[in-house]
Amino acid sequence: MLKLALRNLLDKKIRFALTTLSVVIGVTFVVGTFALTDSLRSTFGDLAEDIAGETDLTVRAAQQVGGETDRPTIPDSLLDDVAAIDGVVEASGTVQARNVVIVDGEGNAIRPQGPPALGMNYSSRVFFVIDGRAPDGPGEFVVDATTATGNNLEVGQTYTVNGPVRSQPFELVGIFNFGSPDTNTSLGQTMSVFDNNTAQQFLGFGDRLMEIRVLVDGDVEEVQSAIAALGHEYEVITQETAAAEQSEQFQSVLNVFTSILLVFAFIAVFVSAFIINNTFQIVVTQRVREIGLWRAIGVTPKQVSRSIVVESAVVGLLSTAIGIAVGMAVSVLMRAIIRASGFGLPSGPLVLRPRTVILALVIGLGVTMVASIVPAMRARRITPVAALAHDYRIERSGWRMRVAVGGAVTALGVACLALGMAGVGSAATVLALTGVGALVTFVGINVSSPAIARPVVRVLGRPIQALFGMPGKLARENAARNPRRTASTAGALMIGVTLMATTAVVGASVRNSVSDALTDAVSADYFIRSEGSQFDPATGFPAQVMDDLGDLDILESVVGYRVAFGGMVVGGQSRDLVSADFDAVEEHLDGGVISGSIAAGDPLTGVALHVDPAEDLGLSVGDTLEATFPDNETVTLTVAAIYTDAIIYGNWLVDNALWEQHLSRRDYRFGTAVVAGLDDLAADPQLAQSQAELLERSEIAIAETVAGFPGVIGENRAEFREANEELVNSIFAVITVLLGLSFVIALVGITNTLALSVFERTREIGLLRAVGMTRRQLRRAVRWEAAIVATFGGLMGVVVGMILGVAGSLATPDSFITTVDVPFGTLAIYVVAAALAGLLAAVLPARRAGRMNILDAIAHE
Amino acid sequence: MSDSATVAAPPTHAAARAVAATKIYGSGDTAVRALDAIDVTFEQGQFTAIMGPSGSGKSTLMHCMAGLDRVTEGQVLIGEIDLSTLSERDLTLLRRDNVGFVFQAFNLVPTLTAIENIMLPMDLAGSAGDTDWVDEVVSATGLADRLKHRPSELSGGQQQRVAVARALAGQPQVIFADEPTGNVDLNTGAEILGFIRNAVDEMGQTIVMVTHDAMAASYADRVVFLVDGKIVDELVDPTPERIRAHMNQLGA
Repeated sequence: MLKLALRNLLDKKIRFALTTLSVVIGVTFVVGTFALTDSLRSTFGDLAEDIAGETDLTVRAAQQVGGETDRPTIPDSLLDDVAAIDGVVEASGTVQARNVVIVDGEGNAIRPQGPPALGMNYSSRVFFVIDGRAPDGPGEFVVDATTATGNNLEVGQTYTVNGPVRSQPFELVGIFNFGSPDTNTSLGQTMSVFDNNTAQQFLGFGDRLMEIRVLVDGDVEEVQSAIAALGHEYEVITQETAAAEQSEQFQSVLNVFTSILLVFAFIAVFVSAFIINNTFQIVVTQRVREIGLWRAIGVTPKQVSRSIVVESAVVGLLSTAIGIAVGMAVSVLMRAIIRASGFGLPSGPLVLRPRTVILALVIGLGVTMVASIVPAMRARRITPVAALAHDYRIERSGWRMRVAVGGAVTALGVACLALGMAGVGSAATVLALTGVGALVTFVGINVSSPAIARPVVRVLGRPIQALFGMPGKLARENAARNPRRTASTAGALMIGVTLMATTAVVGASVRNSVSDALTDAVSADYFIRSEGSQFDPATGFPAQVMDDLGDLDILESVVGYRVAFGGMVVGGQSRDLVSADFDAVEEHLDGGVISGSIAAGDPLTGVALHVDPAEDLGLSVGDTLEATFPDNETVTLTVAAIYTDAIIYGNWLVDNALWEQHLSRRDYRFGTAVVAGLDDLAADPQLAQSQAELLERSEIAIAETVAGFPGVIGENRAEFREANEELVNSIFAVITVLLGLSFVIALVGITNTLALSVFERTREIGLLRAVGMTRRQLRRAVRWEAAIVATFGGLMGVVVGMILGVAGSLATPDSFITTVDVPFGTLAIYVVAAALAGLLAAVLPARRAGRMNILDAIAHE
Repeated sequence: MSDSATVAAPPTHAAARAVAATKIYGSGDTAVRALDAIDVTFEQGQFTAIMGPSGSGKSTLMHCMAGLDRVTEGQVLIGEIDLSTLSERDLTLLRRDNVGFVFQAFNLVPTLTAIENIMLPMDLAGSAGDTDWVDEVVSATGLADRLKHRPSELSGGQQQRVAVARALAGQPQVIFADEPTGNVDLNTGAEILGFIRNAVDEMGQTIVMVTHDAMAASYADRVVFLVDGKIVDELVDPTPERIRAHMNQLGA
């Protein structure tokens, strides 16, 4: 039977190639993702060890609250205490801050896309100067080699550097390799490095340090406990722990990256499974007579289904092998692209872990074989009569059964989705529920959709028939001819379109929610942020910017904002924290205060919060609560106000004064300004002229101030809103493009199905050509058949996607989405795109149909 | 007209004819002469049967005459149109407008109803056809009440009658039938042949039928015998017995 299965594959090379292709795409995605991230991971692991390698022990403040960037500092007097301990050979303090942005010779801020812009103090153990010398003195700094060469920074020149507190010129005295003397492994970060004192002052540490690195001669453990005895507010970690933490930091970034790619790989594989299933179904149908003959000469039903499973195994194995090879090539290519885009990537071997191969096999081979089970079982039902009967049909379950089963499966999927969207359980559970829910929903729809395929396709085909006459009619009838096949082919396309439509609805809802919030709640006239802030929530600009703006007479008030994710613990849970200036913030951004007053809050002990957590914790204005901050201090806060708009303030709002007491970051994430006297002018229409004049003058004043800080942007209301909408658009555009991949796989599916259908209808095509159908008419009929099927898939996708998108938007907390918006225009474009894609997918099958030799076709068995 | 059967008829009355038509498959040593300089004329309003043993070239002759295949040498004419001068597209249009077909089996498009199949060539041409004529053809089939049915809902004989009706409906210059009764039982075969005969007698159609069945051929006005790609004999006003006698003589 193996021989028979193999012969079958070789006989139908094109079909084989197309089926293989869809599996290959899925496997490639999975292997590429893992090979790339595993390679990066091993390189980063090595790097983490290198960085930690020179230090035996690290001393730092113990921290319970907040992220790594919010770790409290330690006094530099501790340095002497540590150095005095027996066995300590060397103790050196380190400081490090983000958003230390160098301005290049042409006045442009050098801000990496993604990786941080770091400021640090110098240490000869990790910074290997390759040109010039180490920094020494308040006006000097050195940078990493990648940043220097990439931006034409020259030793001896003076450059402005924006720090977290202020902007200041420094002379570049040297260029270094980070991590190793031979290659710079800065991983795309820009590194501005100063001597110890300068770093402490410029990076806003004052006389404090972030860590003390200790070299030990003797028993490390003994020294460790001696240092720990200096105070319980400190912790001492070993080299291994430091390396593990460092590498964990790298990993967490990689994990996000891996997860995103794997989600798309998963979608690709899922769509492939649809196509494989459909292909094997058709193949079984086409081989009914042949299989009947086998049965007649004594092949058992079991052997029949086994031969089909063997065939699928060969397809699966081969495409897995190809997928692994292509996936490796893709990961090499991706790494080259990452490196070429100025991301200082250490070179390392390409890693193909057994896990990747196993997963590729499970996916490639497993999916193919699972997808072939139903067709194989169907083939078992073929009786020997099939060899003789003219139009034999395999018995199959009735429509009613199909709709009932499909409906039940769909309901199960929707239930999972609903649970997931309602946010039951942990984030992982939510993701799993949503993912499995979507998957099960698709399967359910696919089982039941043949029931509606015929009527819907008939309706869709009506205009085609009206437009193209007989070829149009044939396209319409052929699309409606085999509802199961049509539904299955359309189903593969539906998945991609559903996901894209869901994304479109959620994206539009987010965009509108943001726009609404900005329109209704924003009364500030100007907005300050740094370049790249859209993409990296950790970016910020020097606090001095807001101070300078505050000095301008034309501005009535300015407010600076900071954000710390998990920056405070209340009621045993970490809370995202926003800080602003209580006295003025309500005049800048209206968060919809429903009780109390933010301005009345005490800057050092006041807190304002969103109505949701207020209700959860049973808090109202005047109540007190205990909050623990990253410096491990617990403060009793008094509720000053409760508000309803979380898009503006987040869930918890404190004053900058409180922040500066308990959190270490000094730069601002965001700033707003209100022009003095503008509201009075706006009230009187006769003063419109002076209003415009005032706006113009203020704009000039702000621009002049901000110009002193390259990389910092001042925007008016219109510009700010546009920037925000652009941000939302670009994020969702990226997602849509990635989802578009499943669209491409579905196209392969349409081509495949159509090629098989055309082959199946060889005689019919011969007949049509004999009685006078021109090649053009024939090609047209094939193309429009594909367009009708694709439109059906597009329509199903848009409808399902719209429902999922609306449901998802409704289920999303108000801090993200307040208004649900359905972008009908975009959805219509998706349907049209699906139709066009169908036409495109049909080009090859249509050509093949047109080229058929009439006499051979008529004589075809 | 049924009595004016001669090989060398005046060209003006010819619905289709072949002049020194030669068809060679392959080349060099393996070349096969399927048709060997055949001259034959099919008169208007006449029912001609082509007979011959397997491999005699009868199907090839039909295919070449009908514009489904091209001759290697010589000429094939439908009316006054020389098929060798036509492009692939014009040949298709000629088949659509000037030639009718009835095949042994699989004559109908399964997704179209009986009447849609009958109207297929005209629909492909985008023309309504001669409505009165179509009505006449349809009523002659005796299938007026089954016109909305799909082929799968019709019996084998009914399907063949629909196929003949399709061939007739466009009023082509000539209809070619390839073993139209090869796939049906005797009674049904007789019924179909009667219908074809009727089309010639009552409607004045020109029909050329390839068959190996003497009984079927006996419905024709004239029988042409082919052996090894050459016309070796012909018979006017045939009976089954005379046909069988000729066939035996030819060693088939």
